[in-house]
Amino acid sequence: MLVIRYVAAFLGVVLLVATSQAKEHEGKEYIQENGYKGPETCEECHPGTAKAFLETVHWKHASKVDYVDNLKADQEYGMKNRIYTMCNANDIINNLKEIPANEAGKTKITGCNTCHPGDHTVDVGSTGPEAEQAIDCLICHSGKYDFSKRKPVKRDDGKVVMTQDRSTEAAMNIGRPGIKNCMVCHESAGGGALFKRGFAMTKDADVHAAKGFICVDCHSVKNHRFPTGKDPNNWANDGIYMTCAGCHNDKPHKDEDYNRHTGYVACQTCHIPKTGGAFAKDFTKWVKLDNGFYEPATLNKEVNETAPVYAWYNLTVSNTPHFIGPKGSRSDGKSKIYPFKVYQGKAYFNKLDGQLLGMDFAEPMATGDTLAGVACAADTLGIKKYEPVPGWQTTYFGSNHQVAPKSKALTCANCHAINGLLNFKELGYGDKEIEKLVSPAIYFDKVLKIQQENE
Amino acid sequence: MNKIFSVVILLAVLVVSSLTRVPSVSAEEAKMVGEISKITLAADGKSATAILKDTKTGDSVPIEIKDELTLDKLKDKRIVEGDEIRCKFDKQDGKNNSKTFVKTAGC
Repeated sequence: MLVIRYVAAFLGVVLLVATSQAKEHEGKEYIQENGYKGPETCEECHPGTAKAFLETVHWKHASKVDYVDNLKADQEYGMKNRIYTMCNANDIINNLKEIPANEAGKTKITGCNTCHPGDHTVDVGSTGPEAEQAIDCLICHSGKYDFSKRKPVKRDDGKVVMTQDRSTEAAMNIGRPGIKNCMVCHESAGGGALFKRGFAMTKDADVHAAKGFICVDCHSVKNHRFPTGKDPNNWANDGIYMTCAGCHNDKPHKDEDYNRHTGYVACQTCHIPKTGGAFAKDFTKWVKLDNGFYEPATLNKEVNETAPVYAWYNLTVSNTPHFIGPKGSRSDGKSKIYPFKVYQGKAYFNKLDGQLLGMDFAEPMATGDTLAGVACAADTLGIKKYEPVPGWQTTYFGSNHQVAPKSKALTCANCHAINGLLNFKELGYGDKEIEKLVSPAIYFDKVLKIQQENE
Repeated sequence: MNKIFSVVILLAVLVVSSLTRVPSVSAEEAKMVGEISKITLAADGKSATAILKDTKTGDSVPIEIKDELTLDKLKDKRIVEGDEIRCKFDKQDGKNNSKTFVKTAGC
């Protein structure tokens, strides 16, 4: 028996060593001998990958979108070309460039497409051999990327480019993208750290992160195509849809009372009880910073500081100039109650057609002149006639990250109470139904039993 | 006798608890925006000091950083000297202990 145990332990160690060795990048030796020359080096073993990457959302910043109203079926939408009031700009109208000097004579290079895995020698969404070689594979795949080497600079010929870390050191540390590789771009979207979606992928804030999960554990990538959900305000996608049920199945609770809710209450409603980040911006009013530059006036909260709003969502989206948000109802048979972060932004609308106008940030950032920014953007888009008037747009963002620990998930009394989180009337319930729904009679004995067991 | 004994024990407990009571010092929270003029990482990698030049006053303010996330950003140069930082910190015992340390620039 003792011999069997020793043999089993020995085999276990052998397996562990073999597994850990197999995890090392197989091309490490080649890179050490030959250096790293960009995607052409990766393509020695991964032929065709660069070309395939150019077809994905990370490169194109756009895709066809089939679940949002008022879009053209044959057109692609995303960060490349969308205008909405979290950013009021996009890769096209706020292209990476040197902005004019401010009052203090300072300038800087900035633009939406600093968050693009290329080098800006070719545009977002471009194709061909030049585009393939512009891809920054290592910014996602290197565990030792020197991020100080990735910055916008102006070349001698006047062109603004994004430099990359293409060192052998970075290339010899290839692996699955870690949280930080993703957060380089996804943390500061919307103008500041944790502004846009108000969630932090940290051990303290998210239970998956606390258990050592990284982004790509759930967003399990296939050929650089990322599975995503159907956030009312995150339209561009790689065509692979994912939900919590992908890992947790439709009846994940030991308690059948909770499982009975899953048909009409989304997982996120109970398990993501808070949100945060920027909740309002005013692009018609830029505030001057101490460094002499301007930024859009922004109202912001920390992560976990904001209560979500709850609404029926059937995974299709209402898209109008003044509202982007969930469609659905109690009676359509397809909806569940989801939590959303509500954001409201003020910007300029075109009085002539009611559409939201975009803004090139260069002039507003330097001088605070917002209408100059609107004029530049209109010029870029070929809009000849417009009359800018300020207005508001309300946007519902999906709340799909920052899953709270079990002890902080919502329980019966959070919703089934007169002062509960759900506005049952707004959700379409009648007065008599509401009377029952907000009564502790539904759960009194059950919760009492749990309370007594825990005392 | 029993009553006297109980009173003596109670008094002893009160004396001991008052001697062991740690005087509380409340930290004062402050915030600032400043450009990093210097970053010094501790040899063990578990802390760092960043000197921020306050954009309002021009003063150089040393900030002690101990949270893993920010330390990681300093080590892999996602945050470098010259970056402008929005910082919240606690002033305690003569030190400025970082609570949040993020770049002002977004996209």
